[in-house]
Amino acid sequence: MNAIDTAIRAAAASITVKGLTKAYDPQTVVIPPMDVELKAGEFTVVLGPSGCGKSTLLQMIAGLERVSGGKILIGTREVQDLEPKHRGCAMVFQNYALYPHMTVFENMAYSLKVAGMAKAERAERVAAVAKMLGLADYLHRKPGQLSGGQRQRVAIGRAIVREPGVLLFDEPLSNLDAQLRHDMRVELADLHRRIGATTVFVTHDQVEAMTLADRILILNKGRIEQFDTPKAIYHHPASVFVAKFIGAPPMNILPVTGDGSALRLADGQVVAHAPLTGAFQLGIRPEDIVVDGKADGHAVKAALRFREDLGSHSVLAADLGGSIVRIATPFGADIADRLELLLNFPTSRLHLFDAATGRAIPGAQ
Amino acid sequence: MIENARSLNIAASLILLIGMLYILGPLYLTLATASQSYEFLLRNGLAWYPGDQFLNNAVRIFTETRIPIQMLNSLAVAFSLAIATCILSFLSAYAIVYFRIRWAGVAFALILATIMLPVDIRVITTYQVASNVFSPVNALLDVSGLNGLIAQVFGAPVQLELSVLNTHFGLIAPLAAHGTGTFLFRQFFRTLPGDLFKAARMDGAGPVRFMFDILLPLSRTSFAALFVLTFLSGWTQYLWPLVASSTPDMQTAVVGLARLLPDSDGEVPDFPMIMAGAVIVSLVPLLMIALLQRYLVQGLVLSEK
Repeated sequence: MNAIDTAIRAAAASITVKGLTKAYDPQTVVIPPMDVELKAGEFTVVLGPSGCGKSTLLQMIAGLERVSGGKILIGTREVQDLEPKHRGCAMVFQNYALYPHMTVFENMAYSLKVAGMAKAERAERVAAVAKMLGLADYLHRKPGQLSGGQRQRVAIGRAIVREPGVLLFDEPLSNLDAQLRHDMRVELADLHRRIGATTVFVTHDQVEAMTLADRILILNKGRIEQFDTPKAIYHHPASVFVAKFIGAPPMNILPVTGDGSALRLADGQVVAHAPLTGAFQLGIRPEDIVVDGKADGHAVKAALRFREDLGSHSVLAADLGGSIVRIATPFGADIADRLELLLNFPTSRLHLFDAATGRAIPGAQ
Repeated sequence: MIENARSLNIAASLILLIGMLYILGPLYLTLATASQSYEFLLRNGLAWYPGDQFLNNAVRIFTETRIPIQMLNSLAVAFSLAIATCILSFLSAYAIVYFRIRWAGVAFALILATIMLPVDIRVITTYQVASNVFSPVNALLDVSGLNGLIAQVFGAPVQLELSVLNTHFGLIAPLAAHGTGTFLFRQFFRTLPGDLFKAARMDGAGPVRFMFDILLPLSRTSFAALFVLTFLSGWTQYLWPLVASSTPDMQTAVVGLARLLPDSDGEVPDFPMIMAGAVIVSLVPLLMIALLQRYLVQGLVLSEK
């Protein structure tokens, strides 16, 4: 155990956001009033499509962007009007933003130097962090002489060397190739397990969110759609937006009508029995649909359009009452040349959403 | 596309040769004439072959003319101009690129406009301002009617006067107000990662620290390039030093060279000495380029290394 691990674990602070808003002018409101609490030591991933305000939220926590209203508390301290350096946050940027003319050592030591730390102590701290991140051999190189993954590690090192209470990541993996991204994801998860800093990680990549997060905060147009554990978000999406955003391929959403006893598709086929009336949206994950087999739901007929074989499984696309449904089945399932499929939607796996608001209807599963 | 036609190659080489002849010919004539005596010139006209009188002519430049002191003037003007331009350009580009300023776009457009309005075009108005730097203030007071008010209260209108003609400051200031450097630095700053400024803020560095610790070291080559360019343009300025300085001791070397021609008609100018002067005056910018040529190229291609 390094001293720096314990220091960061001790410094980890909760983040409380109260009525936080951001608007550039009355017409362009990026974030309407938001309330959320991130626990100390928690790894929170802020997930959303581009332009949903997730980076703005991060920059407001960091102090790089002014708030238009509301409060941000780190620990018990109100920080919304403080300079970034007084907030106890550190940040890792998308393009690393390392200082190109400084060596790895100087990059990592810069904040300590600005803070006026003695030279010997600075060297000691940097050495400890470099050892933890496997950078000890590269301290005298310049960023231009490092690979993408190494630069990323320097950026992380630069952030944690200050022993911050809060660690902020702004899409840090989006510049890396697929393999490296996977490796860095594992490294980040491991790092968080070791140092236990309160972490806010912004991304638009659902895989990063699912694998890294203790809890995922899903934003849509500046509003919180859902804030829950990855498991809960996957199995109990709070809205159509969340349902479609998480999972690959995403959840199937079909318009259905309730006639008081059953839910019917657009072409009249019954998918489930329920004492509901009115228009709804029915959601089911591709891997939950049973092809041909018997399950506790109604069987419906669908026309196969095309199939993609992915090795581990196949993804079928079928036309069901005018909408395309995606089905994930084990690879090699015997559906080779058929055009008609018999699909079974297990009742326990159905999600029901309000047709107008898109919010999940509680207890309707 | 690669052309291999032989005739085309020959034609291209010929054009190149003629071009070189036009550039090198006068240069050779200068050098050759500078090494001949005045008597030789009187007998034969401009020299087509070198003689042995160059040192003699050079010594005469240093003993009989004001070129030495004028070279010091040129040096002072060119150095101060280069330094002032570098500092001004760097600061203005820093403000435009890194700070959210309401009228940044307009300010930048105005700065760029100075590239299209060199001193040669505005020489008369610039001269007016240089002869009394307060003349715009006076005009403003007159136009706004404030001066009438002041005249009523104090008995006389305000008329401020300060001439910077015949001073080094007067020689430098109108030339330093030039947008090329701002443009150069702006383009360079925009090649840097955008989050650098934010990263520095997170590290606790304010705008001033960011400028000294990060931006300045990164801009080294741009500085060198701009310095050389401005130094050369300051050294070779002719029109503005000609009108802004009236005493020989304040004139620059290039103006001084032109003044070596006799004022009266009929007298044959001492071309060997004048040519020797031209050679000596050209040595300084030549040296400058030789020393800083590497940075000149690097700085202008805007690489960040």
